[in-house]
Amino acid sequence: MAFGSRRLPLERRDDGAIVVRLSSDERELLQSLLSQLRMLVRVADVDDGVDGDSPVRRLFPTAYPQDEGRESDYQAMVHGTLVEQRLAAIDSVEQTLDSDTIDDEMAGTWMRTLNDLRLVIGTRLDVSEDVHDIDMDDPDANLYALYDYLGFLVDRLVTALAQSLPEDPPLDLT
Amino acid sequence: MTPGPSTAPAEVDEPIVDDVPDIDTPWIVLVWNDPINLMSYVTYVFQKLFGYSLEKATELMLDVHEKGRAVVSSGPQEKAEMDVARLHEHGLWATMQQD
Repeated sequence: MAFGSRRLPLERRDDGAIVVRLSSDERELLQSLLSQLRMLVRVADVDDGVDGDSPVRRLFPTAYPQDEGRESDYQAMVHGTLVEQRLAAIDSVEQTLDSDTIDDEMAGTWMRTLNDLRLVIGTRLDVSEDVHDIDMDDPDANLYALYDYLGFLVDRLVTALAQSLPEDPPLDLT
Repeated sequence: MTPGPSTAPAEVDEPIVDDVPDIDTPWIVLVWNDPINLMSYVTYVFQKLFGYSLEKATELMLDVHEKGRAVVSSGPQEKAEMDVARLHEHGLWATMQQD
């Protein structure tokens, strides 16, 4: 995958807009991934649970590991909302994939959605924290490359969005 | 305002202190380490959701990373649940328990 040689794929401009520089191959790739993520999120069942083998289990963590009753209430209340929020986010990213620029709010949506993709792929690869060189003979080599690529995009969005955070107070007494 | 001391005899009822009602015990929200989320992303989420300074957010993120988990907020059950849900929305592994 070739990025613009000297320009970053996602970068905040002086006027505050976040410029999107993705090749058409990249946009096609992301489109395909988003479609797959949408399918997986749609069929996510509240009973799948974090100990199961649902590919999206990292998107629906446990809130009360020590209390089955409260956990069940929490999931009943929150699971459906998380599904809806994610589906709406996937739609938004899809609709703006061809944009030249996105604003902060959309950048946040892109960031969370690309991160969700990363969570799903990372779960599938059963990654550890160790930095790895991709073994080109590994049948998962392409997936590892994709995982790293998404990490790069998420990090670019974090950098761009961090510039919008309110300035830290001069004295942090905590 | 409580009334002043009475002039009744000195016998005092012992209050029952061993059963602290649930409603008074605050809930804490923990974020747990995971091998997938980027350190930069976790730091940003802490700043964005809780208004922490970069310094404080980084400190919490490093606690998560090095100690396995960190307490990122606390409060009444409802507030803690909302914090957990927002963290889940951001793909972080958050849980809650009574302090």
